[in-house]
Amino acid sequence: MNETTVGGMKFVLDLSQPLYEQVLAQVRSSIAKGEIALGEKIPSVREMAQGLKINPNTVMRAYQELERDQLTETRRGQGTFITTDSEKVRTIRYRLAEEAVDEFLAKLGSLGFTASEVAAILRSKGGEAR
Amino acid sequence: MKSAIHAANLTKKYGKRMALAGLDVDIPEHAVTAILGPNGAGKSTFMRMLTGLVSPDQGTLSILGQYPSWQLNASISYLPDRARWFESHRVEHAVEWGASLLPGFDKDRAWELVRALGLDAEMDVRGMSKGQEARLMLAICLARDVPLLVLDEPFSGIDMISREKIVAALIDSFSERRQTVLICTHEIAETESLFDYAVFMKDGRNAMSGHVEELRASRGSVQDIYRQLYS
Repeated sequence: MNETTVGGMKFVLDLSQPLYEQVLAQVRSSIAKGEIALGEKIPSVREMAQGLKINPNTVMRAYQELERDQLTETRRGQGTFITTDSEKVRTIRYRLAEEAVDEFLAKLGSLGFTASEVAAILRSKGGEAR
Repeated sequence: MKSAIHAANLTKKYGKRMALAGLDVDIPEHAVTAILGPNGAGKSTFMRMLTGLVSPDQGTLSILGQYPSWQLNASISYLPDRARWFESHRVEHAVEWGASLLPGFDKDRAWELVRALGLDAEMDVRGMSKGQEARLMLAICLARDVPLLVLDEPFSGIDMISREKIVAALIDSFSERRQTVLICTHEIAETESLFDYAVFMKDGRNAMSGHVEELRASRGSVQDIYRQLYS
């Protein structure tokens, strides 16, 4: 699994998982991290497919999903751009945070930790928790 | 899923050997399909059958809704395995030859491909490396704007740089055209990210087939599945 950078965004693809989901998740996280700025143009389907060496249909599917989430917008004849709406990006950042927390809680839950024990661990690590 | 190719119970015997032993398969339209399997699984026999070079002993085969025939071959761009180009040609002759003889041949596209694949008009086929000749063959194939592209082993025995150039040319071609593409290859690790659909052949039959993204979700990479099926 090699890291590839396309249009300022970083990608690591694992061939044993659906590629479309990975491209989608990694573009989202690039937006959340600010690797790609609001209003910036993203690579065309062909450029992205060439950069990642994957089927253009896979890229197309990921791009359609981004557009449905209104994270990108396509301007006729100009290409596809990251939204200029910072509220949308904020939503994505929180969604990614929630996903990370859910994963973390599920893991600790499976190890048998209760909510108050988890809170204590977070406090001991310097994190804030009620 | 609408299929471009439908095969039911295809059989083909060479002497005592069953090359195809009841092959059932549907190949989706406008997708890139990999035909995979070890040597002798029946892949090339199936590919040749599509262009009518081999006829089935039994079973039915329909391609774009028709039986295989020389007329239908006008709609198919086929790269045979172990293919060679005319030794006496230069690259420019090959392009002229394609333009005058091959249905759907787009000469401008051919020159773009020739350049993108690192060849030039003056090169003699006689003096080409195996990789260069394979790139020329592929340029001629990809220059045809036809509904079906059939590539039998486009990467075998070819150097890494040639393979990378071929992969890049294929991605460009897939971006531009809504073709149905079949690729038979052993270079799975390098090419599996290009496939929409995969057919795993074993002993002349369809051992497994499916959409690659779904297979990834349920069973892992194409390479993993290949190992599970054949080792």
